[in-house]
Parts: sequence; C-alpha cells; structure tokens
Amino acid sequence: MLDTLRLVTTPELIELQLHPAGVLPRTLAYIVDMTLKIAIVIAAGKMLSALGGAGNGMWLLLFFALEWFYPVLFEVLRRGATPGKRALGLVVLHEDGTPVGWGPSMTRNLLRAADFLPVGYVFGIVSMLLHPEFRRLGDIVAGTLVVYRDVAVELPDIASADPIAPAMPLNRATQRALLSFAERARGLTPARQEELAEWVPHLAHGERGPQGAARLIGLANFLIGRKS
Amino acid sequence: MKQENFESAHQLEWQAFEHWLTVRKETHRKKKIASSGFADHEVPQRYRQLCQHLSLARDRDYGLALVEHLHRLVQEGHDALYGPQSGFGMRVLRYATGGFAADVRANARWVLASALLLFGPMLAVMAVVRARPDFAYFIVSPEQVASFEAMYSFDAHVLGRVARDASTDVSMFGFYINNNIGIAFRCFAGGMTAGLLTALALIYNGLMMGVVEARLVNAGLGENFYSFVVGHSTFELGAIMLAGAAGLRLGAAIVAPGRLTRGAALRRTARSLVGIVCGLAVMLLAAALVEAFWSPLRLALPLKLSVGGALCVLTFAYFIFAGRADEH
Repeated sequence: MLDTLRLVTTPELIELQLHPAGVLPRTLAYIVDMTLKIAIVIAAGKMLSALGGAGNGMWLLLFFALEWFYPVLFEVLRRGATPGKRALGLVVLHEDGTPVGWGPSMTRNLLRAADFLPVGYVFGIVSMLLHPEFRRLGDIVAGTLVVYRDVAVELPDIASADPIAPAMPLNRATQRALLSFAERARGLTPARQEELAEWVPHLAHGERGPQGAARLIGLANFLIGRKS
Repeated sequence: MKQENFESAHQLEWQAFEHWLTVRKETHRKKKIASSGFADHEVPQRYRQLCQHLSLARDRDYGLALVEHLHRLVQEGHDALYGPQSGFGMRVLRYATGGFAADVRANARWVLASALLLFGPMLAVMAVVRARPDFAYFIVSPEQVASFEAMYSFDAHVLGRVARDASTDVSMFGFYINNNIGIAFRCFAGGMTAGLLTALALIYNGLMMGVVEARLVNAGLGENFYSFVVGHSTFELGAIMLAGAAGLRLGAAIVAPGRLTRGAALRRTARSLVGIVCGLAVMLLAAALVEAFWSPLRLALPLKLSVGGALCVLTFAYFIFAGRADEH
C-alpha cells in the first residue's frame, strides 16, 4: 500500500499503525490556534486596559504565556492536541507511539522559534516537506510526531444472505477483497455493486447483474462463517 | 475460527473495554464519577487480551473494518497505559533542588564558551569606550545614548526607566518576562542554525551591555547604574549564559554529531538540555521580579550592593554544591 504509515511495535508485540499528518492539515490547525490566541489577546487587552499600567503588565504576561506555553499545556494535559489540532483530528505523539510528555512537548514548542526562521515558518515548512514523516525541526529534535487520530466508526453489518461456498480455494487477497466489498455494500448503489461484481466473473460464477452482486455477498457470508 | 463466531465470542469484552475508555475520558473532563464496568487494575490484562485479538484478526484475515475497530481500541488502550508519568510535581521539585545544578555542572565547558562570547565583547567594549567615548556610536545611536543616560540620571524618579512612559512596576515586570525569557528561548532555538544565531545573540548582548556601562560611568552615573543592576544581574546574566550554552551545544550536535546520525544526536542532546532551559526560565522569572520591584528603588548603594552580593553568593553556592549527593 502507498499509505504514509509509521509502524510501531508496542511491548505487547502488536504493531500500531500511525498516519503522520502533512503540511496542509497542520497549517490549518495552526491557523485555528492562531485565531483563538488572537481573540484571547484582543479580549484580554480590552478588559485589562481598564487597569492602566498594571493591566498592561498582565497583558504582556498573558501574551508571553500564550506564545510559549499554550501548545505545551494543551498537548500534555489534553491528550496531545491543541484546540486547532483537535478540530483537524490531529494528535502529537512520541515517535514510539506513546502520548507526548512534558519534556518533548516543551522541546518541540521551544524550537518553534527555529522553525519560524527566517520568516513565517519557512524552515519548518521546508523540513516538513523534505521529511518522510512530515516532521518540522522541533519534531525531529524532540522525537515527536503529529498523526491523524483514528475516529470511532460503527462496525459495519454485513448483509445476511445464504452462505455460498466458493467453487475453488480463495487466496488471502481475494478473501480480503470480498469482505471489504461486503462491508461497504450498504453504502454503494445497486448499479455500482453490479459493476464491481462484473470485474470478478470467476467469483460471480458467470452470473451477471443483481445475481452477480448477491453471489459475492453470499461468498462473504460463507467466509465470515454464517450458517444458512 | 470464523469471523462471525470470533465476534460474538468477544463482543462483550470489546464493548466493556470501550466503555472503560469512554468513562476515563469523561472523568478527565467533568470529574464525573461513573461506573467504568471493571476495576482499573484489570486494565493491563484486558488490554493484552485485546492485543491478542487484534493479532488474531490480522493473521486470520478477518474483515478490514473489524481489524480497524480493534486497532483503534488497542491504540486508545495503549495511550491510556503508556501516558505521561505521574508525579510531575515531585520530579520538578527534585530537579529544582539539585538536578538543575548538576546538569549545569555537566555542561560546564559550554557554559564557559557561552560566558566568553558574552563577557569577552562586553569587557573589551567597556575598556575601549572608557578610553574613546565616541567608539560607542559604532554600536548605538546618539539618541539611544541620550535615552539611557536619562534613565539613570540623578533626577530620574525611579531608576532604569524612561520617566515619561509613566510605567508601573507591574507593567515593567510583564515587559521583562515577555522580553527576556523570549530572548533566552530564541537564543536556545537559534542553536539550530549550527549555533550561529546563538553566538551572534551572545556577542550582541555583550556589546550592548559594555557600551551602556561604559557610557554611564563616563557620564558619572556609574553609581546609579550599579545600584539598579546589581540586584538582578546574577540571575539575568547567568540565565543568558545558560541559554547560550544550551544553544551552542544544540548547534554542536548538528555540526559534529559524532557516531550518531544528526537526528539522533539532536534528540539526545535536546533531551538533556530541556531541563536547563526550563531552569533558566525560572531564573529569569526571579530576575524580572527583582528588576521590576526591587532594583528601581532609590536606596543607599551599600544596601543594594550587599543584597546583590548575597544573591550572587547564593546562586554560585547553588550551582557549585546542590545535587552533589545524587551524582554518580
């Protein structure tokens, strides 16, 4: 498969598949965070200006905290995502797949200053474009990774039909394709189902049209072990 | 075993695990105590069970959707089990009471290099400008000279500030925090340019400090200047030196990674430096407190000097003696 995957083996000897996120979603997440921060800074400025010089000092403190610690606090305390990343479905992990901790989060966000150089995150963007896992300098140094978070989906229900035993042994790839077809059949129009079934005449057993598609579902029912 | 049987045999376990994950997230968010179905100490075992189910599902070529569903459960369980270590406060305390000093001692060579880059130019300019005051204009403009001479003049209401700004202690505190810690963090991150930006920042800051000191002494305002800076200079200069040392070491990891790849060298170096960077931020916080609320006071010079001296001695004592017991 051509997916950009990072495979991580956990101590339980299970392979986790991480999908690194590229420049575009990360830029969008950054824009969301930036907008939020600017809104906070403006709102706080309006409120604190009533306090005169002391308000000005507090505003500068807030500005400082937002600039350097906003991402760190969210990444460590809110399961790896700032509001912007959450909106885009992204999450920061260590490169071994574990949730990001204080040190690495601090490092990757301190090095934003290096990614920002010479102007407007040019170093960071170039680094992300060149790196096979889209890491900016801060990610390389901190050993972190920004990946897509898997979203929960309902388990698809394969339509039940009389199971049909295949006329010949099916290899693994074919079995997998049949199951995928049956899992997605609910979301396909009948015309598309029939069209797909015509691509595999040896499985459809020469049947065409609705019977061909129904036969594939029957085979899938046999594969998952349904009884008639 | 066929997929259908496998699913019906284990469905309940998966649902229980998913329920536990949801409850855990919700209690995180709302501090709501809900029944999570099974005790927390059962989690590792149930998680390992789930891992086994996932590997079976993959090996037996069960449907893609089922495999992905199990993969998501395993991943969330993995996140729950391998999250950040607890006891963060305790680790911070241990670091502050000795780990920080030990880290700085371990990087003594880099601190020395950084000190040379900062204080070398400073002392040179101090000597040159004392002899030839006009040399200052190579570095700062005449307006800047006039401005900082006004800040430390005898009729200034408080020291170290331009009177017409009508700035209060709190506003200056905010300014020092934002400005100084920002500069220190950038000084560290600048190490990614093979240490060049870090070195430039150190030299530039050294030159500026030298010019200011020499011009003020030339103008006969040395007493006011030292009365202002003596309180916070140990923390502030020490922290800039440490930021420089960290940046230079980061740069060195790029230039000379040794037997590691550059990426691995950077990771290893940064891991050992992030504590120092956090520590120096705290030093700058202390410096900003002193600079905003103590340094501007017009008090007798001997008092100011003795407080500044005491802070200096304490700082050196901390970096020399703290954390020795934990070493080796």
